[in-house]
Amino acid sequence: MLDDLVARFRNHDRLALARLLTLVARGEQLEAISAAVEPRSSHTPVVAITGNAGVGKSTLVGKLAEHLRAQGTSVAVLACDPQSSLTGGALLGDRVRMPSRPDDAGLYIRSLAAISGNQAVAEHVELMIRLLSAFGFDAILLETVGAGQGDTAVRELADVVVLLVQPETGDELQWEKAGLLEVSDIIVIHKADLAGAERLESQVKELLSLPGCREVAVMRVSSAKNQGLAELWTRIAGLPRRNAAIASGAEQLLRRAQQLLADRLQSHPLQVRPLLDRWQRQELSEAQAADELLQLLTK
Amino acid sequence: MENRLPLRIVLAKVGLDGHDRGVKIVTRALRDAGFHVIYPGLWQAPEAVVRTVADEDADWLGISLLSGTHMTLVPRILQLMKEARLDNVGVLVGGIIPEADIPKLLELGVARVFGPGTPLPEIIDFLRSQGSRTHA
Repeated sequence: MLDDLVARFRNHDRLALARLLTLVARGEQLEAISAAVEPRSSHTPVVAITGNAGVGKSTLVGKLAEHLRAQGTSVAVLACDPQSSLTGGALLGDRVRMPSRPDDAGLYIRSLAAISGNQAVAEHVELMIRLLSAFGFDAILLETVGAGQGDTAVRELADVVVLLVQPETGDELQWEKAGLLEVSDIIVIHKADLAGAERLESQVKELLSLPGCREVAVMRVSSAKNQGLAELWTRIAGLPRRNAAIASGAEQLLRRAQQLLADRLQSHPLQVRPLLDRWQRQELSEAQAADELLQLLTK
Repeated sequence: MENRLPLRIVLAKVGLDGHDRGVKIVTRALRDAGFHVIYPGLWQAPEAVVRTVADEDADWLGISLLSGTHMTLVPRILQLMKEARLDNVGVLVGGIIPEADIPKLLELGVARVFGPGTPLPEIIDFLRSQGSRTHA
């Protein structure tokens, strides 16, 4: 059945793509699908859009998609919204803010539920990116849930991470908190038509000018007024692609191995417990404990 | 939670109909019952709804209509779904539908019509009992 699906996918059947994405989202037949799809192409930029709830991620993704379509660039969007850890339910409402182009084969939008508390994107997004890239989309936009803080998973997945902030959302100490500034390559002062945008821009720039900060571009964008969108994409396209450079070869294998180890750690809590106890009683150094853990998990 | 796959359902407002209180209540109820609800917003064209169902690989489509246009828009959507090879996606209709039109809609292939005042568990139970026709 999967063979048939993959054959249809290779024949550019959009429904087959949709079904494969569903299987991957559910964690089904991952190995087989992964084996059937070529490794991630270095030609397809993956751009993550992140930031707090209500900052305008969906709107900006929609505007960027329209901008790219106007240039003839095909776009796939993976839009994540939170899934309740209590009921498993989710309201996936990002499409509301995105362009409706029913006759346009060059735009694909898929809504994904991300289990809250885990990470800012749905599981197995990497394989979904490979599917969309193999299907032929020129660019992939990945919208995270409105978590924003303490999340670095997107940096592993995306070539470029764009962080959205908006005026009047709290004191500047907020931006110093872990996870925000350190993951982003570009910071967008969104809703730049609102009062306070200039002040926020200078605050963010001041923070970034402190010693030890990476060089991060700061740009003002207003989706409502269609300002700054073309400039933003030019900047995104001009950045070196983090993952494209490393996606092939050893790094990719390493990431796969890391994932495998993490999965095994999750599924063997009992075997790990005695080791944890010994380490916490300081009978083992951290290095020794890590070494034993590795042996335990690779048995 | 048991290892049950969440059903994906697109809830759509079609045409020039801004009455979205009903669809929002159903959206919330289904979300809280563990469904994944995709809501694309107001004033959707039939073509846009069908594209959403296709790209989201939905198990179900729920159409909310309170504008009296159901006998025009529902057949149109069903026809487009057929053309898009989506005839195995279940279709529900909700909203203000006169008694006399319900058999016609069912005849066309709509699985159920839920009128105003339908207890929310009735919708949830119906979807759970039907499951997914698209995913084996």
